[in-house]
Amino acid sequence: MSSNRKRLPVGGRISREVPLDFTFDGRKLIGYRGDTLASALLANGVTLVGRSFKYHRPRGIFSAGPEEPNALVTLGIAGRREPNLPATTLELANSMDVESQNRWPSLAFDVQSVNGLLAPFLSAGFYYKTFMGPTRRAWMFYEHFIRKAAGLGRAGTGPDPDRYEVRHAFADVAIVGGGPAGLSAARAAAAAGARVALIEQDFLLGGQLLAEPSDSAAAAWLRQAEAELKGFETVVLMKRTTAFGSYDGNVIGLVEQRDPTGPKPNGEARQTVTMLRARSIVFATGAIERPMVFSNNDRPGVLLASAARTYLNRFAVLPGKKIIVATTNDGAWRTAFDYAAAGAEVTVADLRAVPPAALAAEAARLGVMIRAGTRIVDLHGGHAVRHVTLNGPEGQSSAACDLVCVSGGWSPTVHLTSHLGVKPVYRDDIGGFVPGAFPAGRLGAGAMIGAYATADAIEDGHRAGIDAAASGGKSAPVPAPAKLDLGDTATTLLREAPSVGHGKAFVDFQMDVTTRDIELAHREGYESVEHLKRYTTLGMGTDQGKTSNFPALAAMAALRNATIPETGVTTFRPPYTPVAIGALAGRAIGHHFKPIRRTPMHDWHMANGAEMLEVGLWMRPYFYRQSGHDVNEAYVAEMRNVRQAAGLMDISTLGKIDVQGPDAAIFLDRVYANGFAKLAVGRARYGVMLRDDGIVFDDGTTTRLAENRFFMTTSTAKAADVLSRLEFLLDTAWPDLRVAVTSVSDEWAAMSVAGPNSRAILNAAFPALDVSDAALSHMGLLESGWGGRALRILRLSYSGERAYEVYTGATAGEQLWSRLLEAGRPFDLKPYGVEALGALRVEKSHVAGPEIDGRTTLDDLGLGRMAGKRSGFVGDVLRRRPALRAPNRQRLVGLECIEDGKRLRGGAILFLPDEKPYGHGRGRITSVTFSPERGHYVGLALLAGDVAAEGSEVVAVYPMKAETVRARIVSPVFLDPQGERLHG
Amino acid sequence: MASLTSSRDFSLSVADCPLIQIEGWDGTLRQFEKSVSASLGTKLPASVGETVRHKGLLIIRIAPRRLWLVLDEGTQAPALSVDPDLGCSVPLGEGRVRLKMAGPDIARLLSGCITVDWHAPAAAPGRAVQTSFHHVSVLFLRTGEAACELIVPRSFARSLSDWIADG
Amino acid sequence: MLRIECPCCGPRDHDEFRYGGDASVTRPAHDDPDPEAWYRYVYIRTNPAGPHREYWQHVTGCRQWLVVERDTRNHAVASVDFARKSTLRKSPA
Repeated sequence: MSSNRKRLPVGGRISREVPLDFTFDGRKLIGYRGDTLASALLANGVTLVGRSFKYHRPRGIFSAGPEEPNALVTLGIAGRREPNLPATTLELANSMDVESQNRWPSLAFDVQSVNGLLAPFLSAGFYYKTFMGPTRRAWMFYEHFIRKAAGLGRAGTGPDPDRYEVRHAFADVAIVGGGPAGLSAARAAAAAGARVALIEQDFLLGGQLLAEPSDSAAAAWLRQAEAELKGFETVVLMKRTTAFGSYDGNVIGLVEQRDPTGPKPNGEARQTVTMLRARSIVFATGAIERPMVFSNNDRPGVLLASAARTYLNRFAVLPGKKIIVATTNDGAWRTAFDYAAAGAEVTVADLRAVPPAALAAEAARLGVMIRAGTRIVDLHGGHAVRHVTLNGPEGQSSAACDLVCVSGGWSPTVHLTSHLGVKPVYRDDIGGFVPGAFPAGRLGAGAMIGAYATADAIEDGHRAGIDAAASGGKSAPVPAPAKLDLGDTATTLLREAPSVGHGKAFVDFQMDVTTRDIELAHREGYESVEHLKRYTTLGMGTDQGKTSNFPALAAMAALRNATIPETGVTTFRPPYTPVAIGALAGRAIGHHFKPIRRTPMHDWHMANGAEMLEVGLWMRPYFYRQSGHDVNEAYVAEMRNVRQAAGLMDISTLGKIDVQGPDAAIFLDRVYANGFAKLAVGRARYGVMLRDDGIVFDDGTTTRLAENRFFMTTSTAKAADVLSRLEFLLDTAWPDLRVAVTSVSDEWAAMSVAGPNSRAILNAAFPALDVSDAALSHMGLLESGWGGRALRILRLSYSGERAYEVYTGATAGEQLWSRLLEAGRPFDLKPYGVEALGALRVEKSHVAGPEIDGRTTLDDLGLGRMAGKRSGFVGDVLRRRPALRAPNRQRLVGLECIEDGKRLRGGAILFLPDEKPYGHGRGRITSVTFSPERGHYVGLALLAGDVAAEGSEVVAVYPMKAETVRARIVSPVFLDPQGERLHG
Repeated sequence: MASLTSSRDFSLSVADCPLIQIEGWDGTLRQFEKSVSASLGTKLPASVGETVRHKGLLIIRIAPRRLWLVLDEGTQAPALSVDPDLGCSVPLGEGRVRLKMAGPDIARLLSGCITVDWHAPAAAPGRAVQTSFHHVSVLFLRTGEAACELIVPRSFARSLSDWIADG
Repeated sequence: MLRIECPCCGPRDHDEFRYGGDASVTRPAHDDPDPEAWYRYVYIRTNPAGPHREYWQHVTGCRQWLVVERDTRNHAVASVDFARKSTLRKSPA
């Protein structure tokens, strides 16, 4: 097969001086700069491009755009492998490796095309009945078979080495579509003074004008329009860019392909998703030609008429020499004329009894044969077309041909406007759906609103451009656009009722839905379009039924004897064309997946053996490797050291809020369940906040720095929620309170020195400070400085030991940390991580996230005394609801493991010893630790109050590991119930 | 100030950000502003996003009743005492970092970071925009035709500067 | 993407905001002891298909709590105001 044997020697918009090598299923082929993969394949005489989804029927190239249902290919190798790309939208580039899909062992000889014989299994409703009906279990049987047989391409499994980006952009006017209407709209909007973004999915501007001969008046108009737009500094031309979704707030989602033929500078994104925010949007998305329905209408060698014209005039490809043009309208005649002029033998089969005289005259001039009132009913051929059966006034006849061009009219491309909830409405005069009423800031222009003639589209775009600019306040005078009259008319359309021969007649090529499937759906009562869609999978392919939607509606309307508007239309949803997940993720993968928060001492931890743990966005030391060879060994060693000597913990992640103002004390009195108004200056207090519904919200300590100023801490996890809630209360509930709340979480480095040696360590670190118990008692505050830096020492304990929280400015955090470690060396001060911290607090029964889980009340947690008889605080009234005080409500208990060599696990379900372990049980374990003090595992649990008597036994079941262990209910304070160690 | 990345088209550096936040109470805002204005010896930015530059001090209105006083490097903090009946102040300079960016490629790079329209009047030189950058609250300061700063929380600074440098 | 025009910061993407629920319910006084009043405030919602007043906080911006009137059927935003009832300055831009 000689290369480019179907290519014409002159013409088209390709650069014959730039040949491009590519492979298709390993075969080396040559195309030219300016080709798509589809045009290059056709030029090389490749007609068989893929196999169909269910029946593995041979398929070729059907269209010249993103509506392509058949010619889906896989591009690239290894991690770059990308499946299901329409060959019609792939810009040809050097060294492109392309594979056909859904065939085995080869495209030409496919074993599973016998699926055609098993067709009854795969008919409409197969999935529906299998999944939903009483035969649901049959799926188990079918699954293997179906998964092997039905399908599209396979993605690569390796990491994709390419880079993807997400960007944000703005424009006064966004114009979707660079055809005559869009170009005209862009020029008008720019001339009116607006900043314009013109979005075109193709690598060339022009839309349907590109189907016109490259030496025509249309081509001249296009050159002038593009030059004019380039003259505006305020116009951004976004080629190779598809608007895939249209969203609220006049936002459109765009995905841009890198120029595959250009240089590939290191790091340039292969695809860029842009979220474009526009004051107004002009949708000039054009229209998509419809196929015709007849037997074997899916065979390679059947092309949409406009696509055939595009291949001829834009790509200089003559895919056939003996051509049947089957049409219901005027437009396809232009394809017939151009092919005749290019030397092909052409017959037009027009469904209309009397085609327009002007067309007939031109046909006679060019030697085009006319068969009026005639349709194709059957097509013969396998991998290529051989002949068709025609049915007309003179009965059935056979006609030999090597290319069939079809046009069942046009469907305006209303996908993007449907995304916004603009319902399509049917226009009988054009036989298609156009968008209904647009909301403010959105306009339509050109074929997408039914202005099919080029001259009308230009005029229409001009008006839309001016209006769009004006709605953003830009209304400089705009000169009239250059006129272009191609003599194309608003199409006259005869709605076609399908008429078929013996073979399958396809409505949805990609999903292999035939007229018989629609008949079946109708027979079984799935008549509404939404049911039809789900029952037959019509329109559910990667092409979203761009070519199939209308023919299916027409077929169903005919079966129901209803009109098209009565039959209705399905809703289109984003994306308009498939978008790779990688493109949507952009740079937010790997270490950029989410932002990481680092404490001021982060680098020290990394350099000193810390195993880090992600806690929300924060990175925290989990344990230090020098403490033990794994976490279990390390945390026990670290907590022992705290209990026996002293430990140093980075607590900078605590939420910290500066609360100031004349009414700060009143405010805190209302937001905390326990009182703060009477807290003395220089003293700290543990506080618990409730939600309005009476459930515990968060806890922390708050210190009174001055009469009108408090320093609040929150849990690490709830910091943002608490601040926002405080602001909510101040802005909406109590605006009369003069209080300011500000996050100072990032402002302070914080570390806890805990253990019996902690006071001695502070003494050594700050010899000038008096940290005696008299000067700094439990829950006391010392404010001072060190080396010109702020220093705040709070005597607070989370571990149950004598402990101090030491704060300094974030920029000095690491210095202070090192200074404390240095001073603490003689006192065995060692850093400890969050696992040890968690264990220490469990031993002391301090509740944390696992207990404050959004379901527990103060009473559940044994904290009821804190509120005492107070009232008037958030959540007070609803916490008194009877249901929250039911005797069998789960409340906090301590558990200790009473089986040697076994352990407790967080999440285990609790049952009574004589009870069958089934269902939700009586409660659950929330937190556990090995207790070096006790010599076995202990834990906190939430257990039904009516079975929670201390001393009784429960069984803890952990189904994930099939573990069952006996535990005894004990006081949750496992260590030092009198709190003497706080002062030790 | 430390340089993180530098090329012909773009440079990124990081610096500390001495900063004081002041806030006036609702109801006595005018008196508060009058007193602050007198104390600083300059008018205050009138609306959110406006800035006023005065003697090594950049005053930014970041909320209707809230102002940030950002100090140039090496500048002494102004002697400012806020009447507690009118408002309050809180230092925030330890917890913020300035990421300084410049170069002809800046608008493209920034479009991969924040949702700010580089060409809009609200982002013109001298304007400030509070927005989000990879889910983090940041303050965008337009400092020149091809220059800007982001004031970001210190804990997120490295994550965010890495993101910019990879753009 | 919902865009909300903050009264002092201008139009912004919804991900700069934190949703705060129904703004048409009346919060009882902090010391109101009536369980019925609190029950209605916390739990009773009209859930309209149509205009809905709701709280949003411009959390990565000026941190002001706003009352947004949004049509739940099509996300059209009819008005945005500060939740705090005072004479706060709006941005001229």
